[in-house]
Amino acid sequence: MLENISDITTDQLISVTQQADLDGYRFVTTSCVDNNNGTLDLIYHYDLDGVLKQFRLQVTHETEVPSISRIFYAALLVENEIKELFNVNIIGIVIDYGGHLLLSKGAPESPMAYPNQITIERR
Amino acid sequence: MPKSVIPFGPQHPVLPEPLQLKLVLQDEKVVEAIPAIGYVHRGLEKLTETKDIQQNIFVVERICGICSFMHALAYCQGIEELMNVQVPDRARYLRVVWGELHRTHSHLLWLGLLADAFGFESLFMQAWRCRERVMDLMEMTAGSRVIISTNTIGGTRRDIDRETLGHIISEVDIIQAELKEFEQVFMYDYTVQHRLRGVGVLTKEDAYKLGAVGPVGRASGLAQDMRSSLRYAAYNELDIEPIVETEGDSYARTMVRIRELHQSADLLHQVYDKIPDGEIAVPVKGFPTGEVISRVEQPRGEVLYYLKANGTKNLERVRVRTPTFANIPPLMHMLPGSLLSDVPVLILCIDPCISCTER
Repeated sequence: MLENISDITTDQLISVTQQADLDGYRFVTTSCVDNNNGTLDLIYHYDLDGVLKQFRLQVTHETEVPSISRIFYAALLVENEIKELFNVNIIGIVIDYGGHLLLSKGAPESPMAYPNQITIERR
Repeated sequence: MPKSVIPFGPQHPVLPEPLQLKLVLQDEKVVEAIPAIGYVHRGLEKLTETKDIQQNIFVVERICGICSFMHALAYCQGIEELMNVQVPDRARYLRVVWGELHRTHSHLLWLGLLADAFGFESLFMQAWRCRERVMDLMEMTAGSRVIISTNTIGGTRRDIDRETLGHIISEVDIIQAELKEFEQVFMYDYTVQHRLRGVGVLTKEDAYKLGAVGPVGRASGLAQDMRSSLRYAAYNELDIEPIVETEGDSYARTMVRIRELHQSADLLHQVYDKIPDGEIAVPVKGFPTGEVISRVEQPRGEVLYYLKANGTKNLERVRVRTPTFANIPPLMHMLPGSLLSDVPVLILCIDPCISCTER
């Protein structure tokens, strides 16, 4: 089960990230889940001595989510990935790949996001 | 001085997989490096949503050939935690056996690739010849050499009898003896030292801040190893401490991996002495519910699985953060200031697995 998880708002994101940095946490990654109801969960995972701490931020595709890559440079790739695959409006990433970190030109847009999810053929 | 931009990759003799670095150079010195990936993105996380929880084991194993067993282990441990499954003790030890065999073959493969990167072909062949013994052990115990598919939810699919375990130990002893011969070249050869010492230094503070994992982080002094900090599988009953070097250069990254090869041999000896008799799997019924994080230590470092289940046969989300994905920002930090001729060695020093990274 997910432990040490707390819900935050977009306004709180930068301040809790700065606090995690000050407290000596290591940025592990961010997970994105499309809830299929117009909202997406962004879960920020941090580690300190093998113990994880997480923040859950619920957003919509329209929400402007500030990038944490200026605090944790390590977040730049995963933020580009989430922006590209889930169409989350993350702004201010230190290096913005413009939707082409993983996907090439002509590829389906935001393939992991509802309702535009690509359909994998079932037998 | 004018700057020039050189595209390094995606096809390059030193790269086993496609990765491009846009290198901004001043004369022969790198001043900036921007990675470009996306050449082997397969959408495997998406595929897991359409497969059931058992079929997903085979999907996640195919994220990476080199550490396929660890991907399946992280996934199975996550599902087992969600369903509150107690894995039999023997299965926990068997997971260590295959896990350490994977680490051994991965590190030997990397040593060979590193030797090849600086043009030492006979050393490359020595490392890969030694690795063949591990591949044969994998074939002997699992029926295949790379993707061995021995993990299942609730334990392992296969057992290893006492006689075969003894054979593994004798082979591991031979591997260690061979390693002790050619590791001398990595440790003391003038040319090798010239190519590795002081190249791509990453301080402990930078490694931590940039999220470095595995041998890259440990070579910079971070005592960070999921086997010893999380004590999953049977590591809680084995004597293990993280292998740490402090110089933070390419030589230290090589030394960490060489020492970890000896550590894996020691762990296999410990397993041989301690493995209990008994069942190798428990039956698992029903479907999982809830969210979980599962982490294991792959040869390249920590892998994280985030799983979200809703009580049906399909998972809502399987999110994988692989070690190479975490080690790209440290690589971007290491490259500026280095010479163009050192770039191949620096890229190899994070042991990049692009198929892992892109999934």
